[in-house]
Amino acid sequence: MSARTTYLLLFLPALAMLALALYPFVQGVLTAFSDRKLYYDTSSFIGFQNFIALFADDEFHDSILRTLAFTAGVVFVQIPLGLGIALLLLRQSWIQPILRSTLVLPLLIPPVVAGLMWKTMMQPQSGIVNWLLSNVGIPPQTWLSHVDTALLSVILIDTWVFTPFAALILLAGLQSIPPELDEAARVDGAGALLVFRAIQLPWIVPFIVLVALFRVTDSLKSFELFYATTRGGPLNATRTMHIMAYEEAFRWSSVGKAMAVVFVLWLMSYFISMFLMTKWQRRSGVHHEYG
Amino acid sequence: MNTVKLTRNAAHALAQVLFIGFFVFPIIWIFMMSLKNFRDIISYPPKFLFSPTLQNYRETIQGAEGTLRAGELPEYVRFLLNSLIISGGAVCLAVLLGIPAAYALARGGLPWRKHIAFTFLSFRFAPELMVILPMYLIYTQIGLYDTYVGMILSHQLICLPLVIWIMMSFFQDVPIEIEEAARIDGASILLTLRAVILPISGPGIASAMIIAFIFSWNNLIFGLVLAGPNTRPVTMGILQAMTFDQIKWGLMAAAAMVSAVPGMIAATYLQRHITRGLTMGAVR
Repeated sequence: MSARTTYLLLFLPALAMLALALYPFVQGVLTAFSDRKLYYDTSSFIGFQNFIALFADDEFHDSILRTLAFTAGVVFVQIPLGLGIALLLLRQSWIQPILRSTLVLPLLIPPVVAGLMWKTMMQPQSGIVNWLLSNVGIPPQTWLSHVDTALLSVILIDTWVFTPFAALILLAGLQSIPPELDEAARVDGAGALLVFRAIQLPWIVPFIVLVALFRVTDSLKSFELFYATTRGGPLNATRTMHIMAYEEAFRWSSVGKAMAVVFVLWLMSYFISMFLMTKWQRRSGVHHEYG
Repeated sequence: MNTVKLTRNAAHALAQVLFIGFFVFPIIWIFMMSLKNFRDIISYPPKFLFSPTLQNYRETIQGAEGTLRAGELPEYVRFLLNSLIISGGAVCLAVLLGIPAAYALARGGLPWRKHIAFTFLSFRFAPELMVILPMYLIYTQIGLYDTYVGMILSHQLICLPLVIWIMMSFFQDVPIEIEEAARIDGASILLTLRAVILPISGPGIASAMIIAFIFSWNNLIFGLVLAGPNTRPVTMGILQAMTFDQIKWGLMAAAAMVSAVPGMIAATYLQRHITRGLTMGAVR
């Protein structure tokens, strides 16, 4: 294909992305350095004042810590759990297709629906979850309604929604292992544990990195589950950076400050995703080709 | 069968039951709630057996009795229509723009091809507000706020990277010899694309469109920021069941179930391409 045709085919999509993503993005960065309010069209450049104010604010530090805690919780729960489920699904049986279609459901229903579903079930007084727990002798929990348990509860809900993502990707990884490799090990008398440690785990490392890339970046910017369940409450216990930015803009109409918050979040997400992306590209070069 | 194998199979079965319970029970429970009357919903201990009613669905679709003015669509139906227009329009536009781009990136020998592709991809990882909050400021100035055109354009941020990356991976799967044969016979690039590549990649295009539609349909934050009373999508409609002083549980459950229908249909259809769709073509 000639270079001219290539440019021609790319022209409109690139123009669309420039107008719809890059232009607002640049405007957004400029806004972060201004005192822009929601209901006034005018604003003036104030340098780093938004950032200086933010980094002097304990509430902002807390929101960074919450965002990182949430992301770490998500990754460290969902990857091992997803791997367990993938191994479970690897065994051929009549029930396997049913399990697989079940697994896809939480990923394809709206996150806000998932959030509301769990919020309903986690009602401390009348919810089904506490009732189920009481049947096996576990005392009722406060779930989303208490400062100490709210963030953990959102991690639990996120786990329900996104563990299937980890499981499906890792299952695809396990299924891509050449059968000869697996059989050879088993013929040599390797048990399930050894096969896992010596063959399966090393093979799926790039897949694990890929899951981490998606789960880390999605969790850093997670918004909809929080909005549907707690909107940052109770007492700011789940006020992550993305929620904080939304509130700064639409509740306190400080768009400049809101953009400063998102910009910091974007920087964090950008460097982490670049790091994971290069790591993944290097790893995946070994046994499959990409892009 | 020896005992070790028997216990292992039992453990395996137990794990499967737990697994299904955890992932399916919430959906079944809310579905049951959507069929309950108010008394059954708030009863404690929770009721598993009850006489089902379609009242919640009726009220969701038709609106509460006596609140509707003549010739006016019920609120929730308007939300559904809005979502249909926005997501349907966004997917069509994304396919028109995305297929040529994906083809150019898959086959054209640009030196900085990878950088373009990753620039498209990086918007998948960026916090939404980084783009749509400034977009809100721009939209209110140029009159695109709360319009279908504005919503469809903004949803390109969701749909276009998805379509481009998924289609890129499908185009790369087409053997290059087929294309070369067509080109040698004198077909132009566009004719090759239309008559050779697209038919082969048909199922792939369908999957990409479905995934893009679902992610656009399921989205909340774009509507929250960029939509007003005229274009509010269905995901915002569900939140309306939660008013300031009370939550109408039954209505919320019914609205949630209706809004999840496209995703549930897609879940059964997409089986084969789901991992490719979810990872934007990275895992085939």
